Amino acid sequence: MSPSRAPGPPPPARTALQLREATTAARRRPRPDADVNPLRQGLRLERVPDPCAFVLFGATGDLAHRKVLPAIYQLWRTNLLPAEFSLVAVARRPYTDESFAAEVHASLEKYSRVQPIDQAAWAELAKRISYQQLDFADDAGFDRLSAALDDLDAKCGTAGNRLFYLATQPSQVTEIVRQMGRVGLDHEMRGGGWRRVVIEKPFGRDFESARHLNHEVSKVLRESQVYRIDHYLGKETVRNLLVFRFGNGIFEPVWNRSYIDHVQITVAESIGVEGRGAFYEETGASRDILQNHLLQLMTLVAMEPPTSFQADALRNEKVQVLRAIAAPDSEHVRRNVVRGQYDPGWVEGEPVPGYRQEPEVDPESETETYVAGRFTIDDWRWSGVPFYLRAGKRLPKRATEIAIQFKEVPLRLFRESTGDPAPNVLAMRIQPDEGIMLRFAAKVPGLGLDVRTVNMDFAYDTSFVVDSPDAYETLILDALLGDASLFTRADEVEAAWSVVTPIINAWADMPSPQFPNYASGSWGPEAADELLGRDGRRWRRI
Amino acid sequence: MTARPVAHSVPEIEGQLEKLWAQAAVARAQAAQAENALIAAQAEAAARAATSDTSATSDTSATSATSATSGAGSHNVAARTSVLNLVVVAGDQGSAEKCAATILGAASRHASRSLILSAVDPEGPAGLEARIDALAMSPAGGRAETGAETVHVVVRGETGLHLASIIVPLLVHDLPVALWWPNDPPLGSHRADRLLPIADRLIVDGSAWTGNGLDLLGLLAVAAEQHQLVVADWALLRQARWREAIASVYDLPDLRPHLGAVRRIEVEYAAAEPGDPAGKTNVVRPLYHVAWLASRLGMTVAEPVNRESDGRRTATLRQKDHAVEVVLRPVVSDLGAGSTVRVKIVSRLRGAELVGEVAAGDRSVEVMVWDNGRERVRRVYVAPRLTDVDLLGRAVEEGAADPVAVHALAMAGRLLGVESALHKAERHRSQDHD
Repeated sequence: MSPSRAPGPPPPARTALQLREATTAARRRPRPDADVNPLRQGLRLERVPDPCAFVLFGATGDLAHRKVLPAIYQLWRTNLLPAEFSLVAVARRPYTDESFAAEVHASLEKYSRVQPIDQAAWAELAKRISYQQLDFADDAGFDRLSAALDDLDAKCGTAGNRLFYLATQPSQVTEIVRQMGRVGLDHEMRGGGWRRVVIEKPFGRDFESARHLNHEVSKVLRESQVYRIDHYLGKETVRNLLVFRFGNGIFEPVWNRSYIDHVQITVAESIGVEGRGAFYEETGASRDILQNHLLQLMTLVAMEPPTSFQADALRNEKVQVLRAIAAPDSEHVRRNVVRGQYDPGWVEGEPVPGYRQEPEVDPESETETYVAGRFTIDDWRWSGVPFYLRAGKRLPKRATEIAIQFKEVPLRLFRESTGDPAPNVLAMRIQPDEGIMLRFAAKVPGLGLDVRTVNMDFAYDTSFVVDSPDAYETLILDALLGDASLFTRADEVEAAWSVVTPIINAWADMPSPQFPNYASGSWGPEAADELLGRDGRRWRRI
Repeated sequence: MTARPVAHSVPEIEGQLEKLWAQAAVARAQAAQAENALIAAQAEAAARAATSDTSATSDTSATSATSATSGAGSHNVAARTSVLNLVVVAGDQGSAEKCAATILGAASRHASRSLILSAVDPEGPAGLEARIDALAMSPAGGRAETGAETVHVVVRGETGLHLASIIVPLLVHDLPVALWWPNDPPLGSHRADRLLPIADRLIVDGSAWTGNGLDLLGLLAVAAEQHQLVVADWALLRQARWREAIASVYDLPDLRPHLGAVRRIEVEYAAAEPGDPAGKTNVVRPLYHVAWLASRLGMTVAEPVNRESDGRRTATLRQKDHAVEVVLRPVVSDLGAGSTVRVKIVSRLRGAELVGEVAAGDRSVEVMVWDNGRERVRRVYVAPRLTDVDLLGRAVEEGAADPVAVHALAMAGRLLGVESALHKAERHRSQDHD
């Protein structure tokens, strides 16, 4: 009410129509705000990243050629990269710009998920590729790189924006970051000119080494400049898990200890170590899968709804889950965590060797190729609900799945039925056959009252018969756009290691395991079945 | 696999659709059975191999095999996962075929039940003839699955006046209905009034309308508000990259305050003939640029669009306490008639003039910004031409109304001097208060 007017009777209550009209009118006139660009509001188009240089360290390596470069090509082909884009490949081996581009082209023909190669798009991208030979310990080399990037800004309009992608050995990360700091490649400029660094997993090999790595990186870079990549988080179905949980109202009321009996998360691989025996000897299933993929999936299932989809809001909730996981002591590890190693056997109709017969593997190796554990989350939502996690190599099939098993009905009304209805299960398949399955009971048609369990199945590939983007495409584009929500924060990495490191330490203090203890092609060691059997449960058959 | 059964009534069409689903369910069950058998065989092989090593492991594997084979008595239920009903009122059979090809192209992403209706022989005896194309897509694993089906309905005689009675029984329940009018929609007619209430979304292409398109655009703005319709206009969708480019002019924080001080918006478009003397070039796209800017920047219409003697169209907007001059100028260009050639935004703030200009290039748009005559920004956005399949995909994929499109269309209506019922009520109320 205007202060100049005399006080009068209160205005009459507005009708629903008037309220709607008022809301519509208010919506119609958005006001420019100094802090936001009103022309950006509501644009549904994929935002194109700023002009930038993509500096790929380890450009001649396997990861670069199999994953990173095909992802960049795919983003370029689909017009998701800016016209002012430049790819600077950095590695030790000698190449010219042209010879490196030729090698990239050969890799694309092999690894690009869309074939044949779009030659017109490739020709445009190839013009933007340059190669810098560089030894990561060589000060002068980094000086040259810095100068070359400044030249690129002038020549190609990359505007001082740089994404450094470290597709290198983990041991080289600290040195590269130190060199970047030395020559000032980390310095962001006023009025634009961002600098971001993508670091590949593993982030350390235990809690202490992860903390040390984070500390070294933080000497040069702010946390907001660091993008720790775990490609699992870029997978379409993992992202769909967030949509499924927080985009559907019907599941949230039952997503807690009152209705959920337990959760099973499986990351099963049918392959062995595939020529990476030396790497796997140093890693094992706990470091390779449990510390990152399995715990990431667990946090996404268990996290509280974030206040927004901003990076820190999401990551705060994930960290809360990790911190609420009961820290395992050695007795807990002995009772609730199982490790295994595969023996020879048959997988997919083929005989396969045991782990100790694999190349570059110690014939007496005690490295685990299988891990399963029972974890609990001590908070109001999940207290008393076990999360059973398992991951293994040389299992009968490749399958990643999250299964939520609900509690049984309080009273079995259909005991006389020929089939006792099994509890409801909601299963989210991450790979392959990405989709969501809900298991429930249904009456069998007929005069009797027979009850049968049926599956209602949503499959991505039958609803949307299109290729999903590769996880690397999603994550690289996010990093270029400055969206860190699918990347792992320093405290998240350390919190995950604080769950896994006590397990690894407890195993080190225990007697030598009876390895090998499961046949290739089976679902893992017997002790893993006993782990659930003690609770009156069993692993799902996937 | 494509089946093409023919039907002559709605019940016959329904019967044919049910038959198709039953065939798909059988194929699915057979595929699942084969897959289970394969897994069981593999598990048995693993169990046999393990027997020679450890008896404990073999027990585990054998249990797996038995259960996998039996499947614990469960059956897979084929769940329909189509995302929408897509109703196309094609008018003639040529357009119907063109639309069918577009739908086929988009089916992999937007599995739909599509009903394509076209009319022949309006004076002849009443009746219909339908054929059904089922698109069985083969996803990974090779399982057959009916993902989409298209019902082509050709109506004759008086039946053509009662399309809603054919459409409604054939819709898949609980799925949204998108109504696609590929040619000039008969907005304001009895026919449209019967069909619009069954639709959640209306798909049109304002840039393909006959004449300058402005009358239909005005009617569209009114229909959207009256029927609470989500309108997806391909003309507006095509400009997505332009909007991105125009928005980027003001991404630099020090330039952003200029958005509150716009003095002139000028849009150049390709004329069908020099100067567009007859005023027949379709100007829906150029007008949308102005409408979008005005709606985002809180402008009101002071004087609606008027055609000048030199072929330009002008209007006056108000932003806060100052006027904003609007000019739509026809120019000679190699681009197709009605295409936007250049958008220029002039603003003045505390004596400083900022000119943002976005111009069409070859498969790109170029952004240039001058701050008091000094170049501040120059960058190029790749802007490939969207195909009909791209446009249809974008038109149906949003779940709810895109507020940018809603506001732009409503503003376009006001720029054309069309006063909707809602807007009129709002104005009357404010007059009552005064």
